[in-house]
Amino acid sequence: MADRADLLQGTLDLLILKAVLPAPLHGWGISKRIRELSYDVLQVNQGSLYPALYRLEDRGLIRSSWGISPEGRRAKFYTLSAAGKKRFAEEKANWRLFMNAVEQILHAT
Amino acid sequence: MPRDGAGFVARWQRRTVALFRTPALEREMAEEMRLHIEMEAQEIARTRGLEADEALRQARLAFGSAERFKEEGRDARSTRWLEDLASDARYAMRTLRRAPGFAVAATLTLALGIGATTALFSVVHSALLEPLPFGDPAHTVVVWTGSFENQGSWMSYDEYELLTYEPHVFDAVGVYDVETKSITGAGEPERVHAAQISQKTLHVLGVAPMLGRDFLPEEDAPGTNDVALLGYSFWQRHFAGDPSAIGKRIEVAGKSNVIIGVMPRSFRMPLDYDEKGVTEILTPLAATDSDQGAIPGPAVAPGGGSHGLYSVAHLAPGVTVAQANQELARVASRLIDEGVYPGPDRFRLTAVPLRAQISGSLKPALMVLLGAVALVLVIACANVAGLLFVRGERRRRETALRATLGAARPRLARQFLTEGVVIALVGGAFGMFVAWLGVVATRAWAPPSLGLVAEVSLNGGVLAFALATTIGTVLLFALAPALAATRVNASEALKDGGRGATTGRARLRARQLMVVGEIALAVVLIVGGGLMIRTVQGIMAIDPGFRSEGVLTMELSLPTSRYPDGASVTAFFDALRHRVERLPGVQHVAAARLLPLAAQMGNWGMRIEGYTPPPGQTSPGDWQIVTPGYFETMGLHLVAGRWFDERDQASTPLVFVISQQLANKYFAGRDPLGGRIRLMSDSTAWATVIGVVRDVEHNALTAEPNPMFYAVHSQYLKEAGFTPRTMSLAVRTSGDPLALAHPVRAQVRAIDPQMPVAHLRTMDDIVSNSIARQRFSMLLLAAFGVLALLLAVVGIYGVVAQLVAARRQEFGVRAALGATPRALVRISLRDGMRQTAAGLAIGAVAALMLTRLMQGMVYGVATSDLVTFVLALVITGVVAMAACYLPARRAGRVDPASALGAE
Repeated sequence: MADRADLLQGTLDLLILKAVLPAPLHGWGISKRIRELSYDVLQVNQGSLYPALYRLEDRGLIRSSWGISPEGRRAKFYTLSAAGKKRFAEEKANWRLFMNAVEQILHAT
Repeated sequence: MPRDGAGFVARWQRRTVALFRTPALEREMAEEMRLHIEMEAQEIARTRGLEADEALRQARLAFGSAERFKEEGRDARSTRWLEDLASDARYAMRTLRRAPGFAVAATLTLALGIGATTALFSVVHSALLEPLPFGDPAHTVVVWTGSFENQGSWMSYDEYELLTYEPHVFDAVGVYDVETKSITGAGEPERVHAAQISQKTLHVLGVAPMLGRDFLPEEDAPGTNDVALLGYSFWQRHFAGDPSAIGKRIEVAGKSNVIIGVMPRSFRMPLDYDEKGVTEILTPLAATDSDQGAIPGPAVAPGGGSHGLYSVAHLAPGVTVAQANQELARVASRLIDEGVYPGPDRFRLTAVPLRAQISGSLKPALMVLLGAVALVLVIACANVAGLLFVRGERRRRETALRATLGAARPRLARQFLTEGVVIALVGGAFGMFVAWLGVVATRAWAPPSLGLVAEVSLNGGVLAFALATTIGTVLLFALAPALAATRVNASEALKDGGRGATTGRARLRARQLMVVGEIALAVVLIVGGGLMIRTVQGIMAIDPGFRSEGVLTMELSLPTSRYPDGASVTAFFDALRHRVERLPGVQHVAAARLLPLAAQMGNWGMRIEGYTPPPGQTSPGDWQIVTPGYFETMGLHLVAGRWFDERDQASTPLVFVISQQLANKYFAGRDPLGGRIRLMSDSTAWATVIGVVRDVEHNALTAEPNPMFYAVHSQYLKEAGFTPRTMSLAVRTSGDPLALAHPVRAQVRAIDPQMPVAHLRTMDDIVSNSIARQRFSMLLLAAFGVLALLLAVVGIYGVVAQLVAARRQEFGVRAALGATPRALVRISLRDGMRQTAAGLAIGAVAALMLTRLMQGMVYGVATSDLVTFVLALVITGVVAMAACYLPARRAGRVDPASALGAE
């Protein structure tokens, strides 16, 4: 399960929220979008993706509904909820803070 | 993170929906993942130019085990534990359905263990521990008089007076008389148990009326005693619980009394706990020395005087029951020394504390039963533990398999535990039902003479204890094998197919010993039950000297107010007999003072012409007073002479019929016919013996009959100076005796509409009631025997099943080497049979020793009765062997290939 360590703890949630921010996506769509947005650097392991989706849904940060995918298949689409948007903003701020802190440590001479 | 209220509600809503829509959600999850894999496959096919099949395979590989992600997906939801519980319960039900033997054995064991323990403890509790409805029962005693061969007898008024003067061990003494009395003037006339009490009696007992007031000292005096206290149920029946009943008048035995109070519902007189029933009317005794035939003051008339009263006393502060009895013994021996009582050892006084009086005789038996029941509970727990253990062993492979397939260990353990919970719940529910059934049955079958036992109610505390004990055991032992099984290295368990079971050797040994004990216990209890069955059979086979079938009886009591003299009493019974005789279906009708087996009969001193009793002795006879027709009605056997008939009137020569015993004792070597007897008084006339009848078992079927004489009702006035007013009517019919109840009652009412009829019952009922105690012991012991046997069956089944499971490998080898299935079955049977044999042997020896304690309970059968022992051993042995055979058969079905294949 080494690939799971690719993502820092907690970042997956942030990435999922970011992925569904512009438009509803289904599970595979989310993983593909994260892959594309990161230029294939970040691979989301499916074993982490679905549990994370259910967890976020359970916390009310995303909502799901069944619809038809662009490929013409019945699929479950995930949308960001109002609470999700708020949480995304918070998480993004947190992440920036964290990133900057880590950067400063790494650049310190 | 702060939670907003709306979000919280929404979250729970989702969870609730998720919980109830679980199967739908599962489908959605599966669909979502399938979609994911398909999309991935298309992507792979497109980007890497692979064939669709290969792309799908790679997509699947990349996705991993869909099952596990589904699991983790479920995990992400917080209702997970609840869903798991529901699905575990469903799973447990399903697996239990697939193992009905195990499920039935486990729940049955629990049900019987819980049920029997609770029911029996409830009985013990009600008999021995329930508080008595008296103010200070520990320091309140019933005082009995009696000679040394006759303990627990009535007291005379002189003896009561003595108690108030001489022994300084009581601070209050009460005396009372009991009688069944007719109550009129309050609706339907009725006969109720009444007590005439001295003014201090209620004070001694520490009880007070719940409405109104106690008797005043001045009301306990002759001529002023026109007051009455009502019992609670009488008040309910006749006044519908209306407090304004106080001040109204009722007629007690024809005498008008003012109601001054109502006793509380719990009120009982100290001797109301036997078959007699509850006292419902209290009136003042209003005794005087002269009408009680007593000497005023502490002096005691020769022989004590006329005995017919009961006495209760409250111990003075600091005095123990033992001290009181010492003092009473001193007083008694002084009186004997002074020559008040004839001969030495002819008088004693004994104080018995209320608790001992009411349930003392039951205590040892109940304690023994309680011990047996505790044992049953332990055995039930051990059995269930054993069953669960065997089940855990048998499922090792399955468990290991599921562990390798990715089921988490806590999840597996929880599944075992859930199965235990399901068994415990079902077993517990059945257990409560069995307990309830036991209590209801005890209420129905316990003879009233067992006192408080007949008032048993389900004890909630005990039920909770039994439930907690057994369910705790279930959970503990459901979990233990689960943990053991899941801790097992999966690959190892799969490889060697559960050879690790041999590590349970020590535990197996313990369980084998337990099974030996269970079988021994079953033997002991079945022998006990068998002895009681033989006892009841024996008693039923006794010829009571009369024919009980087809006889209806009822009690009538004629009040002095309307029937002032003996002639009017005789006239009433003559008229009634002639009316009833003409009813269709009636063959014979008669009246008697006391019906056999319905009431104990006392004796009367007699003088027999030509017989001189040995010095210091008298020649008493039990006195039965009957109307003509009695012998035919009761079907007595005439040995010599003739029966009474309509010729025998008040005015004709006085005649007696005597029993064989009486003839043998007082007419030894002489012809009793024509012999003369007179009752113990110089003023009464001689009566001539005209017939001899075979002895009737009057006091008990198992008692040696006493000498008895029969006198004609209408002649008794001349023979003894009075005419009995309370008589039982007996009617013999060719049909159903109870069908006559209404017509006979109508005839009573036609003569006297005010006349209440009491104790309407058949002679068969009376006979069967007289052995209610033995029958109850029989039922109890037989029920326990069956219970013990069932538990032993479960125990031995479990042990043999465990053995077979543990030796699967060995059997596989043997089968591969050519052992026939029959040989394998025989090998497994041998183990079970060895324990059965040991259990039977130990049980037989234990039964031989323990049944000696039943000496006083059995009748007509030795406690070492060979037939009973052999039957008990055969039954237990056969049943145990059958229990061995079922699991042993499995040994014969061991498939060498599958048993060895994993090696």
